[in-house]
Amino acid sequence: MASLAATFGRGAMTNGWTDIRNADVILAMGGNPAENHPVGFRFVMEARREHGAQLVSVDPRFNRTSAVADHFTQIRAGSDTAFLAGLIHYALSHDRYQAEYVRLFTNATFLVKEGYGFNEGEGLFTGWDARKKAYDKSTWNYELDAQGFAKVDPAMEHPRSVFQLMKKFYSRYTPEMVARICGCKAEDFVKAAGIITSSYTPDRAGTILYALGWTHHSFSVQLIHAAAMLQLLLGNIGIAGGGLNALRGHANIQGGTDCGVGYHNLPGYIPIPKADHQTLRQFLDAVTPKALRPNSMNFWSNTPKFVVSQLKAYYGAAAVSGNEFAYRDHPRLPAGENWSWAYIFDHMHEGRMEGFFSFGMNPVSNGPNSRKVLGALARLKWLVVAENFEQETAAFWRADIIELIGKKPADIATEVFLLPAANFAEKDGTFTNSARWIQWKWKAVDPPGEAKPDEEIIARVFLKVRELYEKEGGKAPEPVKHLNWWYSNPARPSLEEVAREINGWSLKSGQQLAKFADLEADGSTLSGNWLYTGMYTEAGNLTQRRSTADPGGLGAFPQWAYNWPANRRIMYNRCSADGQGKPWDAARPVIRWNGEKWTGDVPDYKADSPPEAALGPFIMLPEGVARFFVPGQFAEGPFTEHYEPAESPVENALHPRQSANPAVHRFGTEWDKLGGAGEFPIVCTTYRLTEHFHYWTKNNPYNMQLQPEFFVEISEELAKEKGIAGGDRVRITSARGSIEGKAMVTKRIRPMQVGGRTVHQIGFPIHWGFLGRGKQLGSLANLVTPTVVDPNSFAPEYKGFLVKLEKVS
Amino acid sequence: MSGRILRYTLHERLIHWVAGFAFVYLLVSGLAFYSPRLYWLVNPLGGGQTARAWHPWAGVLFTAVCVWMYRIWRGDMAISEQDRAWRKAIGRYVRNQDKDLPPAGRFNAGQKYFFWLMFWGGFLLLASGAVLWFPERIPWSLRSLRYAAVLIHVSAALATIGGFIIHVYMGTAVVRGGFTSIVRGEVTREWARAHHPLWLNEKE
Amino acid sequence: MKTLELKRVSATAAPAPGVREQATVSKYIDTTSCIGCKACEVACQEWNDLPAETTVQLGTYQTLPELTPNLWNLIRFNELDHDGALRWLMRKDQCMHCGDPGCLKACPAPGAIVQYMNGIVDFNQEACIGCGYCMTGCPFNIPKLNQKTQRVYKCTLCSDRVSVGLEPACIKACPTGCLQFGTKTQMLDLAGKRVAQLKGQGFEHAAVYDPPGVGGTGVVTVLAYGDQPELYALPKDPTIPLAVRIWKTPLKWLGSLAMTFGVVGTVLHYLRYGAKKAEE
Repeated sequence: MASLAATFGRGAMTNGWTDIRNADVILAMGGNPAENHPVGFRFVMEARREHGAQLVSVDPRFNRTSAVADHFTQIRAGSDTAFLAGLIHYALSHDRYQAEYVRLFTNATFLVKEGYGFNEGEGLFTGWDARKKAYDKSTWNYELDAQGFAKVDPAMEHPRSVFQLMKKFYSRYTPEMVARICGCKAEDFVKAAGIITSSYTPDRAGTILYALGWTHHSFSVQLIHAAAMLQLLLGNIGIAGGGLNALRGHANIQGGTDCGVGYHNLPGYIPIPKADHQTLRQFLDAVTPKALRPNSMNFWSNTPKFVVSQLKAYYGAAAVSGNEFAYRDHPRLPAGENWSWAYIFDHMHEGRMEGFFSFGMNPVSNGPNSRKVLGALARLKWLVVAENFEQETAAFWRADIIELIGKKPADIATEVFLLPAANFAEKDGTFTNSARWIQWKWKAVDPPGEAKPDEEIIARVFLKVRELYEKEGGKAPEPVKHLNWWYSNPARPSLEEVAREINGWSLKSGQQLAKFADLEADGSTLSGNWLYTGMYTEAGNLTQRRSTADPGGLGAFPQWAYNWPANRRIMYNRCSADGQGKPWDAARPVIRWNGEKWTGDVPDYKADSPPEAALGPFIMLPEGVARFFVPGQFAEGPFTEHYEPAESPVENALHPRQSANPAVHRFGTEWDKLGGAGEFPIVCTTYRLTEHFHYWTKNNPYNMQLQPEFFVEISEELAKEKGIAGGDRVRITSARGSIEGKAMVTKRIRPMQVGGRTVHQIGFPIHWGFLGRGKQLGSLANLVTPTVVDPNSFAPEYKGFLVKLEKVS
Repeated sequence: MSGRILRYTLHERLIHWVAGFAFVYLLVSGLAFYSPRLYWLVNPLGGGQTARAWHPWAGVLFTAVCVWMYRIWRGDMAISEQDRAWRKAIGRYVRNQDKDLPPAGRFNAGQKYFFWLMFWGGFLLLASGAVLWFPERIPWSLRSLRYAAVLIHVSAALATIGGFIIHVYMGTAVVRGGFTSIVRGEVTREWARAHHPLWLNEKE
Repeated sequence: MKTLELKRVSATAAPAPGVREQATVSKYIDTTSCIGCKACEVACQEWNDLPAETTVQLGTYQTLPELTPNLWNLIRFNELDHDGALRWLMRKDQCMHCGDPGCLKACPAPGAIVQYMNGIVDFNQEACIGCGYCMTGCPFNIPKLNQKTQRVYKCTLCSDRVSVGLEPACIKACPTGCLQFGTKTQMLDLAGKRVAQLKGQGFEHAAVYDPPGVGGTGVVTVLAYGDQPELYALPKDPTIPLAVRIWKTPLKWLGSLAMTFGVVGTVLHYLRYGAKKAEE
């Protein structure tokens, strides 16, 4: 999401599930949509059946998606960047890119300032500080004119134009180099490249579907940026059947991201205030970007309206202009602090935390490096787990679990509270899916026993805390005291009311706001999340809409639920039309200029701005255009370079001296061990199965019937080498620990030639553990994964680490 | 005792009737399964499911008794040269011209052949019946066993039924005194002389 | 049981009473669109209230080696090198609802197996005697005997749902559109179009599997390698097994005739020759 936001302006799937059926070419890479998104995958199948779309599957394994694909290429887990960089090079060197699109809608025309460079031998961009192990990013920027606007060369011929720099940068990624890094055959790559880049013509649409196979790397953000670059070159962003589509793994993970679940964002992707943003003014100045081109709409210039309306939602009447809308009392993040997932457990392990709430989360199972998580939990005073089932985290003190870190239950002083929580079908509310549809759902059954919906658990905890503050006082009482808890039932806020609040209303008229353009910075509007304004208007709760009317015939379904932003079905849709406002592809028009305004889908653009005005189509970026060259938003460089995973069987073929991502933080607890290829020669990856959902369905007899136990997929060649037959018991060991399970010997994984030698690859699904039905043999997949995270998104490297494999006799 | 001699011991009679009732049960239930026109036969047996449940057990019992009979009658049932001659002259037996037949021992050749028919038939029925008894235990790869079993079971059943019809007919209607002998165990000397002269000689 | 909708009834000498006109229905399975998600397996069990089976990992994605009395619907997985590429074939296995059902032919229990006017072959466990002859009669290895209940079970094509105008549970659950339901004519039409498309994509042996040897099936299956149905665990030219045909027709008639002659023969013999006389 960090990558998409930096490249296009918003961190979400650009198109939508129903739009996939408009595609001519579908690349499923870094994801296994048939396995993990079987319902959404129907649109892939429709595209194939209805107009013969071609599906290309690139994955470490021949998986369920590959089974129905037209072309499959096996690559080494962790080598995806090189494959994508190779595709960029292929498109550029074979003139298979949509030149006019690139010129109009991207920063390819921008000039980069002098001093920027990339040292190919060292594998480092300019500005590397070896002592601090960080970049000074000042050279990664545009050459600005006197007004502070970036200089451009519309011909894209200037040697410092982004286009020329990009062309040179990716020229190293020849098919032979791709084959060498990825372990595939050059001709397989070329065949895949031929299909994928065939969508560069204006009348062909290509989409990319990805998921955790791309986000679970120590270079995931850059990797996804490479895919974004490819799609921009091919003219596939903003068009029907195009896009770069992040498939979210949970029903409401997009909603969580939108509503500030990340530690670094407030709802609506507003950066969290830092300690040095002492006043509201300072904060707003720091987070409101300035336009980098005269024709840039720079929608984030509205940030003050979003922030003030949000503060009004938090503090109600206590937020007035005289007190900076209670900004000074609002929690701020201390400088240099990182509280993302892996860091939380690192801090916990260092003893910096007293207590921990775990809502619908099972860190012992789903975090990387389970032993480190156990070690961290053991240092807590208290732990609250709200869950449907007792799980490994709530039971982490159990003898068979805590034994993993050499302790006994008696050694654990942590007080654990397990609160029975209602599951998704036992409560109302909304899900925001990958396609950004905010969809209301209705409770199907009452929660069993004493289980309570999350909103009641949270509300009761809050009311108790507030009561204690009132009675006993305490540090920083204001946010708690002034929190706008206006709900008619304070102990169990109605989610209808919460939805109305998130949408927001006018404090003058009392009416629900119809669109985020109505938000004001003067305290006259209130909105919990500007991005969701429009979902619950005076017309009612639009997330409950279920009309299947499809006026354009392209599967947009504009009256189905509510689609942020502003009910747009395809984001950046200005790019679907050429410089004159005429759709590139007359058969698949998204919007067009009719002489007065843009018609079709809700335009992601100023609706009455004529094509001649050449307003930038990426309205959320200060450039107004999409970024090939990213001026400083990423930790490790403005262009995507291939780096090896933290644990790799080979050195980086491009620059062995800088093999892995230089910007990756190394954690230092006793559990943070990395292994080398000598002891751990096999590349390993983890994944999920369609038969299970996370660590949940191991409690369900039907899911357990379909996939009863932990297994490891092993190539026939490796099995032969180790004397392993299908169904045998094997042990996988990494530097962090080992797990055992059944072997599945398969043709669907094959050994590869990487760096001139044979590299074996194995993989296993994650779904089992200690608690649940059937044989739960303690095979927690994450006992072997490392706590290594991407320096931008902080997502752990669950894919592509090193292990060894033995037969257990 | 006025000329009556013991032809079948209590032991023998008991065995015979266990086999007989088992066979009748098998016949009735088997015929019900054999043809929809005879399915009504399951009614006195307690219905189709009950009949299906007991039929194989009756088969086991029948075969077990056949083995038991074999143990006690093996000698008596041995086919001799004389029996072969008897068989060649069977037409005379059919036409009740028994005097022109080679004299019979304890069992005439017809009875012996009937015994062996039931013995081997019972064996085939049990073997094929076992396959049919536990169809779920026969793996799909060995399904040809099932195909063989249905054909063998039906064919063997038909053969034994043929023998059974003749046996009952002979034992009740044709050879008067035969039925009494297998119930009470005794026959008159005259009866023995007429039907089993060699046996009578041996006895005396 | 809907008497007026019965086309065939097992072990019943009288003609079937069905007079209601109904179009033959059929499932459609496009194996080239199946992703092996097994939603159909569970939907079937949930609709029919069947308990989950206890399974073990045997080195495959397939839930169980074959159907069971509680699992009437199974995706069969087969990975192989074929046509110069790796293939992972998946096919939904369940009752094929044959036009000429071998199970029904083999069944000795009146009314235990019926075929409705719409082609659905259904088992009536009330009348089933658990003999398992249907298992012998079936060329597809479908009916399964429950050892505890001693009755045989299989896919009903959701005759309860279909009779009220709903599609079978498996079809409803399928996410990719690989499963469809309708009249057989419609499904054959759909299958024909898909096969033509596949041929255009280079699958020259693509074909519809609707074997005439069993009177066609109530499941129309599209196979990319239609010349080798055995790759999908389907028999090439299935028929009701020869043994069952011999047993149920010539052998049965000959046997009945022989038994009748036997009884009649004894009567005639008695009339002609009478009893043997002991005293002479």
